[in-house]
Amino acid sequence: MEKLSSVAKALAPSPIQELSFLAQRCNAINLAEGFPDFVAPAHIKNAAVSAINSDFNQYRHVQGICDYVAQKMKEMHGMSIDPLTDIVICCGQSEAFAAAIFAIIDHGDEVIVFDPSYETYDTCIRLTGGVPVYVGLDPPYWTLDPDKLEKAFTDKTKAVVLNRPLLWQHSPHNPTGKVFTKDELEVISEVCTRRDVLAVTDEVYEHITYDSRSHVSLASLPGMQSRTVITSSLSKTYSVTGWRVGWAIAPRCIASAIRNIHIRLTDSAPAPFQEAALTALRSPPSYFETLRSDYESKRDCIFELLVKVGFKMLFKPQGSFFVFAELPETCSLSDVEFVEELIKQAGVVAVPGAGFFHGDGCCSRRYIRFAFCKSNETLSAAAAKISELAEGDGRLKIFEHVFAL
Amino acid sequence: MAENESTQNSVPPPLQVAKRLEKFKTTIFTQMSSLAIKHGAINLGQGFPNFDGPDFVKEAAIQAIRDGKNQYARGCGVPDLNLAVAERFKKDTGLVVDPEREVTVTSGCTEAIAATMLSLVNPGDEVVVFAPFYDSYEATLSMAGAVTKSITLRPPTFSAPIDELRSLISKSTRAILLNTPHNPTGKMFTRDELDAIASLCIEHDVLVFSDEVYDKLAFELDHISIASLPGMYERTVTLNSLGKTFSLTGWKIGWAIAPPHLTWGVRQAHSFLTFATATPLQHAAVAALRAPDSYFEELRRDYLAKKSILVEWLKSVGFKVFPSSGTYFVVVDHTPFGQENDVAFCEYLIKEVGVVAIPTSVFYLNPEEGKNLVRFTFCKDEQTLRSAVERMKEKLIIKKH
Repeated sequence: MEKLSSVAKALAPSPIQELSFLAQRCNAINLAEGFPDFVAPAHIKNAAVSAINSDFNQYRHVQGICDYVAQKMKEMHGMSIDPLTDIVICCGQSEAFAAAIFAIIDHGDEVIVFDPSYETYDTCIRLTGGVPVYVGLDPPYWTLDPDKLEKAFTDKTKAVVLNRPLLWQHSPHNPTGKVFTKDELEVISEVCTRRDVLAVTDEVYEHITYDSRSHVSLASLPGMQSRTVITSSLSKTYSVTGWRVGWAIAPRCIASAIRNIHIRLTDSAPAPFQEAALTALRSPPSYFETLRSDYESKRDCIFELLVKVGFKMLFKPQGSFFVFAELPETCSLSDVEFVEELIKQAGVVAVPGAGFFHGDGCCSRRYIRFAFCKSNETLSAAAAKISELAEGDGRLKIFEHVFAL
Repeated sequence: MAENESTQNSVPPPLQVAKRLEKFKTTIFTQMSSLAIKHGAINLGQGFPNFDGPDFVKEAAIQAIRDGKNQYARGCGVPDLNLAVAERFKKDTGLVVDPEREVTVTSGCTEAIAATMLSLVNPGDEVVVFAPFYDSYEATLSMAGAVTKSITLRPPTFSAPIDELRSLISKSTRAILLNTPHNPTGKMFTRDELDAIASLCIEHDVLVFSDEVYDKLAFELDHISIASLPGMYERTVTLNSLGKTFSLTGWKIGWAIAPPHLTWGVRQAHSFLTFATATPLQHAAVAALRAPDSYFEELRRDYLAKKSILVEWLKSVGFKVFPSSGTYFVVVDHTPFGQENDVAFCEYLIKEVGVVAIPTSVFYLNPEEGKNLVRFTFCKDEQTLRSAVERMKEKLIIKKH
């Protein structure tokens, strides 16, 4: 162990992946991991097959991806992006984020992150020597408190010239399913501009929003495009999480830095899937409408189920394919204990919410994240199994569970 | 829609990028390739084939896509691939490794190198590299905050200067970065050289990161993995990939093999760099690694034939050609043609002759050391090689002094 770097020693294995192994061992229905169990769209798979057959298998950079992404950003957000200089194709949003952080963060730089947050951000920031600073979103609606945000900027950060604070924003949001409102984005953009701070956004769920709510990109607000790195990917929009094609969009000099890092991290994204990305990005509007409406009905099903069986469901997901359910007050189990019982008794696995919280622990043990990016069969089967555990009043027996002494 | 500033119109913000980027610039490959396209030059610079990989591997990928293997794979690799990597490693080196605890699949060997350096090197640690070296090593080392110490392999034999290595290793030395068969020289480290390096590593408790992506392109010697030497497995990360062996350089399937106490760190860094590697292509890689011996024999034969075409003609047009035992590269001395240095020669070669080579000065910490040498590749179909050779015969003029 002494051979490990100090950073590597501080890292812990992913709780989400470990639960997945447990689920596999118990043959449980997996509502934990955030990837679909239904097939990827045929037109996109065919494009990949065709690419492999047409010998698109050597190192390449498919400029057409940048052209389509720039076009989409113009259509969706009214932003003018130069596809030749402002976009970097990466191995998934994961690598786009890693490259962006390496490009921007120096040792000791503080990065503001909204809590709860996807576990990877924390460790990626630390890997570069950065310091994550958490601003908790207020339950039950996960609203942004402008005062909390303002206080997260430290005097020390302002004073040291070489340290540059950074803000990380994820909308639509994993794990809560929150979509930041225009007002909240304005608060964020105001403070970023006033304090001369960069912003990095993760917009992988940009096409998965509900109730006619549209995703607003932080970079589209006044003063923000020149200080924002947008990261996104094919994975969630096109149900191909295993293809590893994503991108970073940033002002020219930052994009150039990200590109230089990316070339040293992986050199290029998988060639045949870059080619297939062209087909994906050209999908007609009907594709996105169907995607949204399918996910919306899945959301409604699972939300109703969770309400019915007694979870405290004050907040309905506005985007992404996760629902963050709160354990009722009467339930004395922690999130981890509940998830283990659910696996054992119902054969359904979800994710304990604690791993997403990094600030104070007032509510961190009370949330369970369910993924509903699953086929209707899977969701019905999970619903049936969960319902079997309900008592006369419809509530889950597990909530009353008391461990034997 | 809110009024937006376009990036072209707004005042560009002051450079906000991290200090670690001071050493980074666009790669020489990108520069040469752009120039090549402009002049319609034949590209013997970039190290990837202009022919494609074998059908049986491509078909396996297609099958995996159709079978629905399009979602996240397990982060450290599809279990079947980890197993196939371990099996291949046993066949090649005799070493038995645990696929579940000692093999990590990454997005290409590039990522395996990055993950290894980021997880196993602390800021301030010294890492020894042999110059000339693959140009991304230095940049990745600087990302990890390492201090790069370089030892030069010199023509004509590019043999490893062990005495120099002995005096360079200090308490601060964390690792030696080895690349064999070696890009760009084609040198293969001999048993004696590896024994000497091994004994220094054991004596000073130094790790070895061994980049062996060209191990199947070994022509004059047998490839030896330093991990197989006594006392070395426990301190070695062996790095490899699919791309060069199977002419699928764009698939980005690579791996790191190391004992559990080193693999753990590599896996952590990997999970935050790319999280997982392309799933259907991993499944296809299983089929590739289980290819019969005949595949690898034919690969060697084909490349040997290409090498003869290129080397014979490079000599005949007047280059001083250094022996290359492995890889698909050969390094030559360009000075008979009277250009000022390697970059000038390569520019001349593109503009006046219509052929691309790579100036080797970028592969040294001190660029002066490479000014007489350029690198040609022969990972191109025979037609391309012959056309390039024809152009050189026609237009390369030896400057008589």
